Amino acid sequence: MNLLSKTMKMLVLAAASCLLFPRYAYCYIDPGTGSYVFQIVIAAFVALSFAVKVYWQKIRQFVGRLFSKKEK
Amino acid sequence: MTLPEGQQPGSFRDPSGFLFRHDGVLYRQVNAAYQEHYDLLLASGLYRRLSGEGLLVGHEECDLRLARTPGAYKVLRPDLVPFISYPHEWCFSQLKDAALLTLNLQKIALEHGMSLKDASAYNVQFLHGRPLLIDTLSFEKSPEGRPWVAYRQFCQHFLAPLALIAHRDVRLNLLSRLHLDGVPLDLAGSLLPARTRFKFSLLSHIHLHARSQKRYADKPVRSQQRPMSRFALLALLNSLETAVKKLHWRPSGSEWAEYYGHTNYSDQAGEFKEKLVGEFLLSLSPLHVWDIGANTGVFSRLASQRNIPTVALDIDAAAVEKNYLQCRDSGEKFLLPLVGDITNPSPGIGWENEERQSLLQRCPVDTVMALALVHHLAIANNLPLAKIADFFSRFCRNLIVEFIPKSDSQVQLLLATRDDIFPDYHVAGFEKEFLRFFTIERREAIAHSERILYAMRSKIHAGK
Repeated sequence: MNLLSKTMKMLVLAAASCLLFPRYAYCYIDPGTGSYVFQIVIAAFVALSFAVKVYWQKIRQFVGRLFSKKEK
Repeated sequence: MTLPEGQQPGSFRDPSGFLFRHDGVLYRQVNAAYQEHYDLLLASGLYRRLSGEGLLVGHEECDLRLARTPGAYKVLRPDLVPFISYPHEWCFSQLKDAALLTLNLQKIALEHGMSLKDASAYNVQFLHGRPLLIDTLSFEKSPEGRPWVAYRQFCQHFLAPLALIAHRDVRLNLLSRLHLDGVPLDLAGSLLPARTRFKFSLLSHIHLHARSQKRYADKPVRSQQRPMSRFALLALLNSLETAVKKLHWRPSGSEWAEYYGHTNYSDQAGEFKEKLVGEFLLSLSPLHVWDIGANTGVFSRLASQRNIPTVALDIDAAAVEKNYLQCRDSGEKFLLPLVGDITNPSPGIGWENEERQSLLQRCPVDTVMALALVHHLAIANNLPLAKIADFFSRFCRNLIVEFIPKSDSQVQLLLATRDDIFPDYHVAGFEKEFLRFFTIERREAIAHSERILYAMRSKIHAGK
């Protein structure tokens, strides 16, 4: 019984993950496995600098406030 | 531009729909398989926004009974683009602007819950001086967490040829003519100079990308797929945009600067020639014009400034680049500069040599201007005058052509390094051959020069 419920749980989780992240989406062009894998790696790499770019104004304001408090 | 009736030869790869022509009108059939995506394109406001901003071709929905095959969901009538050009016919900045448009479209699509499912440079055309996407079916519902399926295609169609032009040689843009789905990244990587490995954007999106392609060449994408956050996807697009924006191409200084000084006639003769060409255009009242050997488009503008759609074709990518930048900066809407060699025009490529049409299949042109061109064809390229006349008579309905005699210093320059094997190259010989294919409407000597300007009508197209 315990084994059965465990198996059921795993199946439900697997199905949910398939719904959340479709493992294979229909595309009429070949995305290329190497290109697919590589973009995930490179995107993770460039995300940090992109975050700095997107939040640069907020970072500047934060740092600015930090220094203005110190001066007071 | 003549298009065959029925399904268009370049529109069969995407099962979402296809282009077809019925009673001379171009339609796009949307198949039921694309219904969910088409509805989202409209319901999300993406279509309205993109077409309103001139980034996507507009369309009208038509009677479904026009559908060409069963299983149609919609039939659309897209706005017409006067001339379909191909990426290997564009100059550097045209390709760069098309690349930036593609990335911009993808960013806007993501805001509306959609994504570009392809990034083919052939889906971009130039209308009113600006690039726009002509494939309405390029958008699909974007599932959260999925990487960009068109990343490989974008790098091959845009980034690789742009990098090759910027870092190696402008003539490498012709690689896009050989490789229908863009320049293979391993080839681009091997042609690019070693210094590009020290530029992060090219190291990553071309060199390492090519290595990854090789490593996973025989592995299925299903086993490798991992979720990718929306933020990471935006970071990737931002990185590609930076990579494209950092690429620049400028011909060497002296060459670049000399384009206005290549003529040998006086200012008076130049002004007179401009006046004559303007008069000829007025009398021919063309629907569209091709200026062959247009250089930077000085004479092309005599047509385009009269709101006549004009293509300015030149073999020199630097002259076309200068022409395009001028068009773009001054917002010219009727001039399309293109790179092309009329002695070796773009061939039909792709499936059955018909997927992308040859330059001549995309004709006939209403009026061709061939100014200071015939001596290049006849003397520099050994083309008999009869062949030149025959070609132009099939290529266009009207011809404005300039004849430059052997005594002119430009012709003397061409003859300086070779034997004169052209005994028939003289005014009488020129007129004799052209009169076989054309009627001469006007014949005027260009004052202060030895040149003659003609306005002719093709006998082949007469009455059509």
